[in-house]
Amino acid sequence: MVVDDLAVSFDNAGGPRIQAVDGVRMSVHPRQTLAVVGESGCGKSVTAMSSMQLIPRPPGRFDRGEIRFARKDGSRTDLLTLSEKEMREVRGAEIAMIFQEPMTSLNPVYTIGDQIVEAIRLHQEVKVTEARDIAVRAMDDVGIPDPAARLSAYPHQFSGGMRQRVMIAMALACQPRLLLADEPTTALDVTIQAQILELLRDLQAQRDMGVMLITHALGVVAENADVVCVMYAGRVVEYATVLELFDNPMHPYTRGLLRSIPKLGERADRLTTIKQIVDNEDEFRQLPRADDGVRPWWPWHDPPEDLVPNEGPAGEYALHRVANDHWVGLWRTEAVGSERQDAPDLQYRLADDPNAPSRTATVKTVA
Amino acid sequence: MTAYIIRRLLLVIPTLIGISFLVFMLIALSPGGIGAAVRAQAGAQSTSSLGLQEAYLEDRYGLDDPVIVQYLRWLARISPMKFGTPDQIDPTGAVVRAPKTLDLPPLAGLWYAEGAVPGDLAPPDDIEIGETDEEKNLTYRAAANEYARERIAYIGASVEVEQALRSYAIANGMRHALEADNDLKLDVFKREGFDPAFPEYAEIVSAGTLSLEALQRARQSRAHLQAVFDARPYPRATWTILGIPLRLGPVHLATPDFGVSFSTSRPVVDLLAERLPVTLLLNLVAFPIIYVIAVPMGMLAAIRQGTWIDTLGGALVVALWSVPVVWAGVLALVFLASNQNLGLFPVSGLQDPDSSAMTILPFFNGEGVWQRGAVLDVFWHVALPVSCLVYTGFAILAKQTRAAMLDNFNADYVRTAKAKGVASRDIVFRHVFRNSLLPLITIFATLFPAMLSGSVVVESIFSIDGMGKLVLESINQRDRELLLANVLLVGGVNLLGLLIADILYALADPRISYE
Repeated sequence: MVVDDLAVSFDNAGGPRIQAVDGVRMSVHPRQTLAVVGESGCGKSVTAMSSMQLIPRPPGRFDRGEIRFARKDGSRTDLLTLSEKEMREVRGAEIAMIFQEPMTSLNPVYTIGDQIVEAIRLHQEVKVTEARDIAVRAMDDVGIPDPAARLSAYPHQFSGGMRQRVMIAMALACQPRLLLADEPTTALDVTIQAQILELLRDLQAQRDMGVMLITHALGVVAENADVVCVMYAGRVVEYATVLELFDNPMHPYTRGLLRSIPKLGERADRLTTIKQIVDNEDEFRQLPRADDGVRPWWPWHDPPEDLVPNEGPAGEYALHRVANDHWVGLWRTEAVGSERQDAPDLQYRLADDPNAPSRTATVKTVA
Repeated sequence: MTAYIIRRLLLVIPTLIGISFLVFMLIALSPGGIGAAVRAQAGAQSTSSLGLQEAYLEDRYGLDDPVIVQYLRWLARISPMKFGTPDQIDPTGAVVRAPKTLDLPPLAGLWYAEGAVPGDLAPPDDIEIGETDEEKNLTYRAAANEYARERIAYIGASVEVEQALRSYAIANGMRHALEADNDLKLDVFKREGFDPAFPEYAEIVSAGTLSLEALQRARQSRAHLQAVFDARPYPRATWTILGIPLRLGPVHLATPDFGVSFSTSRPVVDLLAERLPVTLLLNLVAFPIIYVIAVPMGMLAAIRQGTWIDTLGGALVVALWSVPVVWAGVLALVFLASNQNLGLFPVSGLQDPDSSAMTILPFFNGEGVWQRGAVLDVFWHVALPVSCLVYTGFAILAKQTRAAMLDNFNADYVRTAKAKGVASRDIVFRHVFRNSLLPLITIFATLFPAMLSGSVVVESIFSIDGMGKLVLESINQRDRELLLANVLLVGGVNLLGLLIADILYALADPRISYE
């Protein structure tokens, strides 16, 4: 799936429209995990929901851009232009989504079995009994013990972790090519978080599935992601492979995020805050070719004087490729605007990288 | 679940006792007390027959006893669990009780007829009441009528004694021996004694002597009636299972007796049986209409939230809700029903006077003339009353449905369903509406009892003799038996509605369980 120059805005009663995301570009490939990181309200969820057309319209509106998706039948479609009916065939069958709140994301008045069977029968022409068999297998796959008996249980009889497993079983019952996981572990305790993420990794490897993992926990990113996309205020500020991003963060905001995490074995009376980093002007002068006027985009700064904006709303900003596997959100200054703008697209998978340290090593450097 | 339902049903009993106690006390406290209106009607008659009438009513309904005694007596009658001698049921289904005891006339034995006050008589044991049911019935009726006559005669004689005492008190400057309402303060007479020199004294003595004679005759016929009753001319009212009476020592089970209405002298149960079907007809037509229109309206308003359908529909139901039924009913009567205007609908009643001659279903007769038939006739008659019952009901239900649906539209599981690819129609019905049922059940619990008494105004406007009118009449007349029976019925249906709602909750939401 490729998100290309997506802009989504919302009606704001009695005020100007709120631009939730603008000029967002990213891509996810099969068997790859793209982690989308950022604070609340930065547009992570809006991006994911847009690709399912789950944004309520109105008040929401797709202003610009495309979300191109490679279908199971080999064709490529722009998801934003599909009709509601066409979209229903994509939802659940080709792209599935799991949500942050497993406690409330299942319908309380139907049994687990009913809800999984409903999902299966929407996209596969099978009898109810066959659908139940598929549901039992799906529940078995996500590690729910005694799945046949649990089919007739209600959501309230499950714990939070179990419910998230049910959500995953339901999402994956129709073998989607892409899974959008919107903070799937935020509401769960730490041990269950680890279990759920490991489960997702295993299932992803078995099924060659792409995963867009939306989170704000950098520990989760380090442990799971192949490619990381850092968002701020509706824009992508940094996009790189996971090792590159953790080794060499280029945008001050990313550095702020990473530095604000306490490190094992390092004594600190106070943690560094993101504000300390982004308030420091010097932090914005550390990019290669900084002397030529290459400056990280930052909404709270005045645009540099040598800005050459493009036509259109997000024209002052460019997601620029600064290294082979590294993109940074920059002001579109003279130095930047004259160059070709590659869309961020990385086929990288950490598991295939012979030079990569093991996951655990990466995690240790972060947590 | 079964255990829960049984527990709840058992709890209904103390609740109803509490409700009836409060209502009973309220009637007793109201100006004039129990049966005030009946007594007020008697006010048109002469003083002496007024006194007799009052004494008769007090005697018949036990109104001269303390309120708490009256309440306990009423409770004992309506309780299926009874103590003492079982009642009997005569062929008409009326309850036959052992004859009531007789009180002494005022101040008897104290100064007139000293030592000559007769005691209670034992019933004769060699009584013959006949062989067949017919003979037994006749024997009992004769004895009962005899006793009723003698008892009234005796009560009349007692009233004469009271009159004589009153005249004496007035003539001899003993105003302090009278209450404000001319009732006697007997202890004043006892304390102060009498002066035989006054001419009014002779009147008291002669009235007293007459009353004692009447008492003696009444006691004789009472002893006779008691003997006839003990010989059991009728089957006992006690319930039986396979012929074995449910009786253990002094306790037995029998059909509750709701008594006889003061104002109409008819059994309360008969009155209810007459009025209940009328009100049920009105409401059984009205309620489905309210639900069938209001619920889809609320759903539509929620689905099209913020559009003109939502705004207009909401404004319409609230506007309807704001129109007083009294006004709308009278307008409908005048403009739609009255012959001076459109005359489209009947003005009153539930049936055409000659509806019994109609066929049941509508048809065209031989000359091609349209006959509407009895069924359609009833619908034609209830059209206006039902419209008046219905239109105010839309608002609450439609608005509640809309609010509940909107709540659930924003729920996380709806997002999940969308992400699964569920069609929006299925989301509305299968997911959102199914979860919006709980508030609708709550409204049902409050609307359900209104089916019995909610149509007071409409029944009055359209001259329909239903429960609402009956309740109103019983309140106006302070008709104790009728009012209490209505209270029990409405209270019982209220509690039943709550219980049904609780059961429906458990069925609608698997998270609710009463195990």
